[in-house]
Amino acid sequence: MNIENGRLSRASAGFALAAAITILFSTALACVKDAYKPLNTFMNSVAWHNWITQGIVDVILFVALGMMFSKSGLAERIAPRRLISFLVTAVIVAGVGLFVWYAWF
Amino acid sequence: MLELRSHLHQTPVRKTLWWGLMNITSSDVILLAHSTFGVLGTMAAIWVFVEALNASETNAGRIRGAAWIAAVCMIATWIFGGYWYVHFYPADRAMILKGPWPFAHTLFMETKEHLFFIPLILSFYLPIAAGDKLSENANTRKMVMCVAMLIVLSGLAIEGAGAIINHGAKVALLHGIAGSGR
Repeated sequence: MNIENGRLSRASAGFALAAAITILFSTALACVKDAYKPLNTFMNSVAWHNWITQGIVDVILFVALGMMFSKSGLAERIAPRRLISFLVTAVIVAGVGLFVWYAWF
Repeated sequence: MLELRSHLHQTPVRKTLWWGLMNITSSDVILLAHSTFGVLGTMAAIWVFVEALNASETNAGRIRGAAWIAAVCMIATWIFGGYWYVHFYPADRAMILKGPWPFAHTLFMETKEHLFFIPLILSFYLPIAAGDKLSENANTRKMVMCVAMLIVLSGLAIEGAGAIINHGAKVALLHGIAGSGR
């Protein structure tokens, strides 16, 4: 049996939304810390290097948002096709955004 | 060039390891381990994509297994790459910035180090998505295939950027040697 319009599970939908938001957040954080040096200095002081701090923040955010969305069932109510489109768009925006940021600034 | 050489010699932890006749530093081992695990993670994501194309009850275990391999390889890449980036890259960065390809750092390394968080987060998500019954739900299958393909494409882009950074260091060294000969 193959359900064409089947829903994603709570965990799958919740963590998909969390992944998309985390990826966009990570890109925004990379640009902000590059433009605002005090933030970069602060992130260097948290975990040896700003890049390590950013990685830890990303993972914590992904897990926290994923658990929150999974428990609340918020992401499950979003149509799977929309969720997939949002995740793909987030990755494209983040990837191209990073390249453009470092090419221009 | 002398300045660059002295900078490299000042780096404290480039220990030489003798394996038979090979002269390999710990920096080389860590650098190669990071790119190898990156390629293995990307290949595991391709494996997930291909298996998901023909998802059935029989290959459900393989899909989940490959998804976990992709996640573990990306974590290993993160640890090895992060250690090398923090401990060894500053010397290479100084060399690249003084060479003819400074954009290898300012554009490609800067983009690469932040772009890496995309396949990392996606590889954490892949085993969660692959945990659903792909053979019974077309949308779950599409999600797994999209995530696997995004890991593959971003992984390939990062490997390409790594090659440009490597070449940036190489042309900086060649430029320095040619310059010192004048």
